Amino acid sequence: MAEQKLGNPAVVGLAGFGLTTMILQFHNVGWMGLGPVIWLGLIFGGLAQMIAGLQEMKTGNNFGYCAFTAYGCFWLALTLLLIGNHYDIYTSSKTDIGWFLVAWTAFTAILWVGSMRIHGALALTFTLLLIGFILLDLAHFGYPALTVVAGYELMATAAMAWYIMAHIIYADVFGRDILPVGKPWIN
Amino acid sequence: MNRAGKTIGWLVVLLACGTGRVAMAAESGTATAEEAISKVRAAARFLHNKGTSGYAEFNNRDGNWVWKDSYVFVYDCRQDRMIAHPMRPDLVGKPIMQITDNSGKYIFKELCKAGSEPHGNWVEYAWSKPGAGALSRKISYALAADITFASGIQVSAGIYDETMTLKQLDAVLEKMSDPSRYQAL
Repeated sequence: MAEQKLGNPAVVGLAGFGLTTMILQFHNVGWMGLGPVIWLGLIFGGLAQMIAGLQEMKTGNNFGYCAFTAYGCFWLALTLLLIGNHYDIYTSSKTDIGWFLVAWTAFTAILWVGSMRIHGALALTFTLLLIGFILLDLAHFGYPALTVVAGYELMATAAMAWYIMAHIIYADVFGRDILPVGKPWIN
Repeated sequence: MNRAGKTIGWLVVLLACGTGRVAMAAESGTATAEEAISKVRAAARFLHNKGTSGYAEFNNRDGNWVWKDSYVFVYDCRQDRMIAHPMRPDLVGKPIMQITDNSGKYIFKELCKAGSEPHGNWVEYAWSKPGAGALSRKISYALAADITFASGIQVSAGIYDETMTLKQLDAVLEKMSDPSRYQAL
């Protein structure tokens, strides 16, 4: 009996991470309001990405297990935090959200080092993500205009996440590697 | 003696008139420059704490941000939009940079420039008082609001006054920007 083929949870994780990151930046650069960011953040960036992350455990991929589950929680926490602000439940000021982002920047820096051992595309994604977080930190502590810069920069991050997602999906459906992801930055 | 008595009498009358005027101003509800500055700073602080979900409160005609004959309005200088205005819901969501007063002054271009100064600043223009049809001289204090995941947002409130000079208003702003007397934002 042929072994049953399993899907790669990373495709869902990357899809959710990319899409919600992208849509938050559509808000940050001023194209749209926060409504869709909240709901997509809860469902796709939060719930779906977190489930994908938890499924990574069975594949033995610790990087994906940690990253997707954690960024899924990031989205759940961020959207609930913004909903909390609306209903006056543990209101978070701009400074509070700034510190929230600083903690996530530190966490991202740890994964960034790990990403350089995986492949070039992932290393680039995490480099862009780390820069984006730093820009958002600065935007929350005295340089509000950087929100827009971070917005465009993080759109590139989201596009890179989708590129890796497309790499996995296309390799599966075409039966060969269509989109190269490059060598690891650290051997 | 009689002369002194008359003088005192006149003084009493003058004092009574003065007190009456102050009382009248309070009763008729004319917002002062100090109140406008305090309200605008409180509004900036409120939005800093509450984020974009705080915008809606500024559309409430019966809310905290409407007092006497004045009110706070919120606008986006970067995206050229009125975010909230308790008296003119028709302006909410609409572009603002093209709005001029009867002298051709681009009101929001001036407000955005003044609001981006470190302590904010005053802008003089013509606008109708709430409930009045005719235009009055309005001097508004504009200040940037620091909000999460947003940039270019400002809050402003004005006084309707025909006599106060900008120099006098600058003095009020300077006095209220003294951190030893007034708490920093």
